[in-house]
Amino acid sequence: MLRSAFPLVSHLPPKKPPRIRPRPPPVHRYAAAATSHPFTPPSLSPPLPPASAYVHLPFCRKRCHYCDFPIVALGSSSPTPSPRGEGAEDPRITDYVRLLLREVAATRPVPDADDGVPLETVFFGGGTPSLVPPRLVAAVLDALRGQFGLSQCPEVSIEMDPGTFDAARLRELVGAGVNRVSLGVQAFQEDLLRACGRAHGLREVHEAVEIVTACEGLQNWSMDLISSLPNQTEAMWEESLRCTVDARPTHVSVYDLQIEQGTKFGQMYTPGVHPLPSDSESANLYKIASKRLSEAGYHHYEISSYCKPGYECKHNVTYWQNRSFYAFGLGSASYINSVRFSRPRRMKEYAEWVQNLEDGTWSHESRNSDMKEMAMDVVMLSLRTAWGLDLRSFSKSFGKSLTLSLCNTFKPFVESGLVVAMDMQRQALSPGDFELDLQSECDSGSRSAFIRLSDPDGFLLSNELISLAFGIISP
Amino acid sequence: MAGAAALRRSARRIVRPLATATALSRTLQQPERLFSSQASPEHGPRGAMSGSELGLYTPELIRNFSIIAHVDHGKSTLADRLLELTGTIQKGHGQPQYLDKLQVERERGITVKAQTATMFYWHTSASHGPDTPRYLLNLIDTPGHVDFSYEVSRSLAACQGALLVVDAAQGVQAQTIANFYLAFESNLSIVPVINKIDQPTADPDNVKDQLKRLFDIDPSEALLTSAKTGKGLEQVLPAVIERIPSPPGKCDSPVRMLLLDSYFDEYKGVICHVAVVDGALHKGDKIASAATGRTYEVQDVGIMHPELTPTGVLYTGQVGYVISGMRSTKEARIGDTLHQAKITVEPLPGFKPAKHMVFSGLYPADGSDFEALSHAIEKLTCNDASVSVTKETSTALGMGFRKLNLGSFCSKVQVENPAALASNPGKRVVGCWEPTVIATIIIPSEYVGPVIMLCSERRGEQIEYTFIDAQRALLKYRLPLKEIIVDFYNELKGITSGYATFDYEDSEYQQSDLVKMDILLNGQPVDAMATIVHNQKAQRIGRELVEKLKKIIDRQMFEITIQAAIGSKVIARETLSAMRKNVLAKCYGGDITRKKKLLEKQKEGKKRMKRVGSVDIPQEAFHELLKSSGSK
Repeated sequence: MLRSAFPLVSHLPPKKPPRIRPRPPPVHRYAAAATSHPFTPPSLSPPLPPASAYVHLPFCRKRCHYCDFPIVALGSSSPTPSPRGEGAEDPRITDYVRLLLREVAATRPVPDADDGVPLETVFFGGGTPSLVPPRLVAAVLDALRGQFGLSQCPEVSIEMDPGTFDAARLRELVGAGVNRVSLGVQAFQEDLLRACGRAHGLREVHEAVEIVTACEGLQNWSMDLISSLPNQTEAMWEESLRCTVDARPTHVSVYDLQIEQGTKFGQMYTPGVHPLPSDSESANLYKIASKRLSEAGYHHYEISSYCKPGYECKHNVTYWQNRSFYAFGLGSASYINSVRFSRPRRMKEYAEWVQNLEDGTWSHESRNSDMKEMAMDVVMLSLRTAWGLDLRSFSKSFGKSLTLSLCNTFKPFVESGLVVAMDMQRQALSPGDFELDLQSECDSGSRSAFIRLSDPDGFLLSNELISLAFGIISP
Repeated sequence: MAGAAALRRSARRIVRPLATATALSRTLQQPERLFSSQASPEHGPRGAMSGSELGLYTPELIRNFSIIAHVDHGKSTLADRLLELTGTIQKGHGQPQYLDKLQVERERGITVKAQTATMFYWHTSASHGPDTPRYLLNLIDTPGHVDFSYEVSRSLAACQGALLVVDAAQGVQAQTIANFYLAFESNLSIVPVINKIDQPTADPDNVKDQLKRLFDIDPSEALLTSAKTGKGLEQVLPAVIERIPSPPGKCDSPVRMLLLDSYFDEYKGVICHVAVVDGALHKGDKIASAATGRTYEVQDVGIMHPELTPTGVLYTGQVGYVISGMRSTKEARIGDTLHQAKITVEPLPGFKPAKHMVFSGLYPADGSDFEALSHAIEKLTCNDASVSVTKETSTALGMGFRKLNLGSFCSKVQVENPAALASNPGKRVVGCWEPTVIATIIIPSEYVGPVIMLCSERRGEQIEYTFIDAQRALLKYRLPLKEIIVDFYNELKGITSGYATFDYEDSEYQQSDLVKMDILLNGQPVDAMATIVHNQKAQRIGRELVEKLKKIIDRQMFEITIQAAIGSKVIARETLSAMRKNVLAKCYGGDITRKKKLLEKQKEGKKRMKRVGSVDIPQEAFHELLKSSGSK
């Protein structure tokens, strides 16, 4: 559908003044009757200029057995990066960062340079970004600042793996502007770490936690865990969660192991078959995480994300709100001017692509997005969050009848407890009230303001529920 | 055989319009043909032939015959050779197996549609002395399978004799027997032809013994041929002329003819194949149908030589085509008598109005394809009067069609009044009858045990058990049609390592203890899954069905109870527990496209499912269900 056919999408974003969204102070959000939005609902209006940037730093010491990301394994033969990051720098890293800087320099801010909004979030992901010497990370940050501007207090996250940094190196990063660390712990069992092909052991995990918690100027950090690993027992999982809670990160990401084609795990295992847990065991691990982390004061704000109040990952929230973002580096995916674009996953092709970008033979296109696609994006992304789908704004953007169809589709699941309907005050509606509400048809009288997937049962079946919604949007 | 026959029938319907087009283009591409020795220029296959010339062929100079054989015994090749020998078609040119016009027939070596060709042949016989009269021979081909036994019987009714072709190596097979009896009952003179004698394993003497034992055919009567090498072919047409009587009709009576077949041509309309029994038919004549009473004017009449060749007239005993402005093949009922309008004639015997025995529901896999399906069915059925179609709606399958046809189609058998069986406890059903067939099975003797077991499992009643030679046994069973319709032949082939031949003919209805079994998903009956089963087997089938469904239906977001019930009594039950987990909780960065693709794929998967209540049922569930309820 053309943008012009759709009034809300037709007006252009305000050119001046640029919208600055200072980082909100960490206040209690998602309280039972939260009255303020923890974050704005997914963007349905014309895409705001990107205020986020993802930077891919693909280097790893070795590839983990479950990983299918575009990474560059440095191998054991390469000079082991000294924890201080001094001395021998791997030329592959410096060459790559040079390429990255060229891409940043060749990327035109959206809209135009002078009118662009400064970046609110930067995320160094990988790979293992902590393998990149801090001065190179700083160089990238500088380049971003120069090209797009950084807001007054941006969220700058970096993924770090145990065993790849020491206190000094972390200090250096913090000094360069990094203020959030995502620590890839994955498990608290030596055997499991080895079975995953991780490049570190349990000792490094404890050291890393120590370093991160002791680092001054760094309050915001996240612990990554993986559930449903081969031979992982419920007891092991409980242990990992306990250790996590004890380490008191502000944020926890719990990923469910996905067996991907072409990975070592893909060759070794079949999902649901021993030594991998069965679907029902795996669901149980998910539920345990939800329970334990909630008990410890973490809010389950997205399918795989938990945080202490106010510590949502702002950068990831950008994704779930369907807002645009820049991306730089090998295989990274950007979303600019309604276009999602994934860069080449091979280094040589990526280098060629950067060359083309510099030459002007390649440029980010701009497109009016298809309404159906947009509606699907919004549903898919917002139903991943505890905030859920804002029915009123969805209705405004995509029409009342589609919204009604969606609600009707979800009706049986509101009854069975997989979906929760809420009013403006985010009070859950009873299935009966929800049904009555649907029948009333009268917009103004409508009480349903949000629908979300329940935690944990609805989240656990999110693929089913979202694809059901897809079937309604695009039959 | 039912499965294969179903395929054949459906394939036949699909290719027919195409095949007509192919025949047409062939005509256009070959305006000139070279004729072999027997062809006379004035009787060239192309162009009109004068009626007066046709008038020279009095019944004594006409022979109407067909070729009957088990599949693959060489019927089509023999027909080709005869057409070549008479110059009707040119050797080595055009399509081989001329009579198998349909692509599917050539591809699978099966004749499914009656075709007819007129040939001219000089024959010197003792009685005519030095004079060499020319004979008009009509080869009336029959469908190769007794699934079409009515059509076969009507084709045979136009003949006075038949070539019974038997493979010299394989010997008599199930269809040989079924075809022989059809021909025998039609009082045809039978000319046995033992074909493929060039094969290294040919054993013509054994075949002669079989013919003697089974059909009481004198071994000296058998002709030994190889349609492939041409050996012995020269004896065939003389035998046809000498052993088969000429058609018996009365030349001076008002015209009366048998309608053999009809098909729809896009340009010409309905084309009927007819055999003129009495009198003569001229262009411009007014004719009437004995079955419908409708009258028509003959717009075009001629012979198939082998293409439509207008002659303006057909005389007693001759076989040809008539175009008379019929709008649909439904008006042209096979076996009907067409006669001079405005007079009353005795209809020719044997006509049966179409009786629907097999019912099939056709539904598009994807509901949005309904229009396309509708269009396709319309196209196919305008060409086949044995099929009738009504629109129906199933809660499970959506919009579809109920298709009724005479042959066997993978489908449900309806008994006398299935509605009464359904759920009407108020009305007592006095009895149920189900159609039966007489099955002929020929097998190597070592397989007799398992085959007898299979037949009794399928509620068969043994009628005959004989040995046709030292190695092979012949079994005849009366079997409920329902029991053989889906997978009987497959099973039979399985337990006999493919050595069994099988054929069947319709038989009468028998009273049976049948019940309607419903399948309920979460308490809701699925109309498309209801089956009619024998009471004694209900329990077992019910249990098997629910177990099978439990495996086929994927777990869903809620628990599903699967029940088999007769009336209000649940006879089997399984529970499919709810799906626990289907979530993508993976670190995927900002790359949502992969995730979205995955969800879209999942959505498409749901679309392919049929939904009953809130339960998604995969397509294969319906087919699997049919398989097990039909077989056990």
